[in-house]
Amino acid sequence: MIVRICIILAAVSLVAMTVFYVWLVFGRYVLNDTPTWVEQVSLLLVMVITFLGAAVGVHQHTHLSVGLFRNIVSRSVRNFFVIITDLLMIGFGGMMFWYGIELTKFKWNTLIPLIQVSEGFRSLPLTICGALLFLFSVGHLIRLLTGWDERQDNIDEG
Amino acid sequence: MGLFILLGVFALCVIIGAPVAFALGISAVVAFWFEGLPMMIGFQRIVAGISLQAYLAIPFFIFAGDLMFHGGIAARLVRFAQAAVGAVRGGLGIVNVFSSMLFGGISGSAIADISALGSILIPAMKEKGYDADYAVNVTVTSSIAGIIIPPSHNMIIFALAAGGGVSISKLFLAGVVPGILMCVCLALAAYIVAVKRGYQAEKFPGFAALGYAFAGAIPGLFTAFIIVGGVLSGVFTATESGAIGAIYAFLVTLIVYRTLTWNNFKRTVVSSVRTTSMVLVLIACAGAFAYMLTFYRVPSKTLDLLLGISDNVILILLMINLMLLVLGMIMDMAALILICTPIFLPVMNALGIDPVQFGIILLVNLGLGLCTPPVGTCLFAGCVVGKLPIEKAIKTIWPFYLAILAALMLITFVPAISLTLPNLILGD
Repeated sequence: MIVRICIILAAVSLVAMTVFYVWLVFGRYVLNDTPTWVEQVSLLLVMVITFLGAAVGVHQHTHLSVGLFRNIVSRSVRNFFVIITDLLMIGFGGMMFWYGIELTKFKWNTLIPLIQVSEGFRSLPLTICGALLFLFSVGHLIRLLTGWDERQDNIDEG
Repeated sequence: MGLFILLGVFALCVIIGAPVAFALGISAVVAFWFEGLPMMIGFQRIVAGISLQAYLAIPFFIFAGDLMFHGGIAARLVRFAQAAVGAVRGGLGIVNVFSSMLFGGISGSAIADISALGSILIPAMKEKGYDADYAVNVTVTSSIAGIIIPPSHNMIIFALAAGGGVSISKLFLAGVVPGILMCVCLALAAYIVAVKRGYQAEKFPGFAALGYAFAGAIPGLFTAFIIVGGVLSGVFTATESGAIGAIYAFLVTLIVYRTLTWNNFKRTVVSSVRTTSMVLVLIACAGAFAYMLTFYRVPSKTLDLLLGISDNVILILLMINLMLLVLGMIMDMAALILICTPIFLPVMNALGIDPVQFGIILLVNLGLGLCTPPVGTCLFAGCVVGKLPIEKAIKTIWPFYLAILAALMLITFVPAISLTLPNLILGD
């Protein structure tokens, strides 16, 4: 459910951004009136795409990682590696969430020029991504400890 | 000490199999903590890492490439390539290289190239009696050409990492001749191996069929023309031309090729989002990592170290090539461009080497790294498409490696290969 919402939000952002940029070019060459908000809005949208997409990637294990060492060690060492990875991700996600909130609060009263939206929105996707990383990684860890590892390289030598 | 912690934590994270992007972030955060820097700055660097207008080009380039892939342009390019060069001995191998050159021009991404062309060509080659390892190896190695044939989002990353002193137009033009050179070397290797293994040629389909195939491929090829042409003429910025390219690709596949259904479109957008977020989160975290590298003054230390060993240009270039190759083996391209450019660019400046030429050298090196384990994204993708164990592919990939290495040496030591075209068109 959360994953679906993230993907849809990111997908809509991508399409919107593309249309906005074409509108920008159209505005400049045809209407002689360049819309100045496009760039700033797109910079916010790209945060949504990046950080929500990245959280989904963590959930689905699609991020680039090196499976080589994990696959040449014995099963128990491998499990150890996976647990450490999950713990690190939990810690990183937690910090990302915590300091994301700080950053968002810190910037909340500054406005982004040209669109008059709070600067805080820029770091909001990062904050959400942190929370999701935390949740997803806790989920992985629980599943792993209950003997339910869905990581692909468990089955083949990816 | 701090530097060792930064690099050590990173290495450990990679070894235990943490995603590379987050390994960069985690090690940067640990180094921030160790140095007592405010942690909020660390995460602010991650956000700032991608808050640049020029990076918006990346999602657009990926989106345009994906639209072309899901919209059937790849199949048409292959048909054209087959009609044009299939009649040579080992025809499909050379068709493969030629298709990569054309498609790489459009997508600018090696992985897109492999999934798009490989899924068509590898089964076709197997069916015609080519061995799977040959089919996979040709596909994988020729995909590197896509990185340096414009448009290429990796060039944009390089231009930004170089601090804005390198023009994207120049880089685009500088990639053309080296890209073609690489393809010629690879085609030669493909030919020699084909003759040795006794693969047969395809029949030439006649000029009418060639013309027909060409006409089918033109609307697709025009995407690259729009993006590159827009940037070179100054009509669009790289970002705008990416968006225009994506909309154009959308219209061509919807109206001209009529291959874009609603489901196809949804799949395309989701796949673009996935790729974009993977690349950008890597860039974002590499931003924090690179900040720490600068904090530890790695760039100036590297300069002193390298110039301390020797002041022979050839030797230093060889050493840098070797280092880039090794780094390329263990890390992904986008992050490495961001990390290596600020480190090696001062060395290049000190040696009087043009930053544009260095960009091409860097991209070819890192591209070759994509075809080597343990982090050989392209090799893995190719092996998945060709259903071939990686060990088998590696055994017979060396003629193709040699071909690329030969091209790399020429590009490294003959600046004219990269620089003639941009200097001719844009002036100095």
